[in-house]
Amino acid sequence: MTLIIGTLLFGMYRQLINEQDLQTNQHLAAEKQRYQQMALTLDRRSFATQIRTADPKTALVVWRSSLDLVGALSLMPDDMPILPETREFPILAGGADKLHILTGGLVITRYGPVLIATRTDQLATLIERFVNAAITALMLTIVLTLALGYLFSKAILRRLVQYNRLSRRIEKGEYSTRLPVSWRQDEFDMLAGKFNGVLDTLENNLNAVRGATDNIAHDLRTPLSHLRMGIEQLPNKSADELGEACAILTEELDDCLATFDAMLSLTRIEEGQQILELQPLSLQAMCSDLYEMADAMAELNEQTLSLQTADDYTVMGDKYLLFQALFNLVDNAIKYAGQGASVQIVQRGNQVQIIDNGPGIPPEATEKVFDRLVRLDPSRHHKGTGLGLSLVKAILQRHNARITLSDNQPGLIVTIEFS
Amino acid sequence: MKILLVEDDATTIDYVVKGFTEQGHNIETASDGHQGLLLATSMQYDLIILDRMLPQLDGLKVLAALRATGNQTPVLILSALSHVDERVKGLRAGGDDYMTKPFAFSELLVRAEKLMQRGNSTPAHTELAVGNLVMELLTRKVTLAGHEILLQPKEFQLLKYLMEHPNQVISRTLLFEAVWDYHFDPRTNVIDVHIAKLRRKFEELGFGELIETVRGAGYRLRQGH
Repeated sequence: MTLIIGTLLFGMYRQLINEQDLQTNQHLAAEKQRYQQMALTLDRRSFATQIRTADPKTALVVWRSSLDLVGALSLMPDDMPILPETREFPILAGGADKLHILTGGLVITRYGPVLIATRTDQLATLIERFVNAAITALMLTIVLTLALGYLFSKAILRRLVQYNRLSRRIEKGEYSTRLPVSWRQDEFDMLAGKFNGVLDTLENNLNAVRGATDNIAHDLRTPLSHLRMGIEQLPNKSADELGEACAILTEELDDCLATFDAMLSLTRIEEGQQILELQPLSLQAMCSDLYEMADAMAELNEQTLSLQTADDYTVMGDKYLLFQALFNLVDNAIKYAGQGASVQIVQRGNQVQIIDNGPGIPPEATEKVFDRLVRLDPSRHHKGTGLGLSLVKAILQRHNARITLSDNQPGLIVTIEFS
Repeated sequence: MKILLVEDDATTIDYVVKGFTEQGHNIETASDGHQGLLLATSMQYDLIILDRMLPQLDGLKVLAALRATGNQTPVLILSALSHVDERVKGLRAGGDDYMTKPFAFSELLVRAEKLMQRGNSTPAHTELAVGNLVMELLTRKVTLAGHEILLQPKEFQLLKYLMEHPNQVISRTLLFEAVWDYHFDPRTNVIDVHIAKLRRKFEELGFGELIETVRGAGYRLRQGH
């Protein structure tokens, strides 16, 4: 800002000087021509008269005749250049304290050199005033800018200090703290908004982890305490019972291990650490494998499982993971649809649906079921890790497939769409 | 049969050595990768059981070095890493089978014997017989005490696997892999329901106890009843 004003003023100053020089030079050149003309046409006496009566407002003219100086000035400085070259020189005029600055040069005529000069001190004063004014203005601008900058940075600093203080509170565990967002909607508010958004996500995740930890504790505590009781009783068992008792404990332990395995692979799949072995897979073939595998399970629950396929579609996918995801969904349908229900596997082009007419799930739970370790049946009556659907969702996401749950009135429709 | 176990965990070594010795196999152990590679290249084994994570030299590197010398001894990889891509990595490096810890010894035994048999290239059977249960592999005809039983393709495959390993406990994972070409732990009763259907067909002929459930382990086909 100050720099711009400075440059502007300097430019104006330069222009002013140039203009003045130009005008003086033009003026002096015109006078020079006039006196040269006069020297040629007039005799020596008339020339002297002309010089003596020259209007001092147009130009100050001095001619050194043989004896004395004729003209408006009482002296003729030495080493004056010949016009158009000019030089500035001071003279005393009127009072002793009146020093004037003149600019002028010599004209060589046949009667000798004539000095033609013009007053430039008024212009010089003007320029001097201009320069003074400019410097003052510049100083003022600098001071003003500094003052404003200081105030402005003070305001920014105050907000940063506030942000710092709040961040420290968050660091200490007050995760509900949020940065203030003002009405200004400036960059700081945008930053605060983003920061708050990150905090919201973090807080949600943190709560989810807390919930999950509780669930893990619940899920693993029960089988682990069973195990503990079982092991404690082992020495009292008779030889016949021992084998059976150990087998039961092994089964319990395998369930715990399966839960851990599922959690580990879920994390790996969700975070993309697991490398997918991609190969072209026929959805139709996978659905018939599904049907073949699950039919006997449905039969056991006195359910009917049916398969409908149309327009085969090839997806690039990891055979084992994708099949596991589809199998989990069919397994869930069979597990939760209840006795006598019917479960359908429907494949149409890039879409696979698993439809049952069981009790379905409440509409508010359609998102929740995909969360880790969430089970809609709080008694945990059915065997399972509670990670099935999270795993399904993670696997499908890695395959760019979309999964949606909808109501079959009654029952559940799970729709998977590959793209 | 002579087996080399390359493993650094003492508990696993005891467990595996005890199991194979009881089954009449001769088993030697190496507790780090270097020693394992040295033994594997200097001696002749029918099977090498190789842990994936070993001190000094990683299991997969041992395997790669072994295969690079032209040694084609069957290798079964043991690992605590159960993920599908780990399995694929192990098999790609030249492993013949892969098992994750913890495992049941019965399953390790079945897998190990299968690999050791492969080296002997036993002549292909056309018929399997366990007690009075007979399976003709070409015509896919199964008779029990002279009565023909009609089986679904998957039931046939399940029974075939059980008949190939009579009197042995076969884990659900093994059965699952034998019947379906998918590697994952279904964590459900999918194998049980198929076995149940098979068993029901035997029951109709009065042989319901032919397939025995072994709690915490799997199933066993009894030879004599």
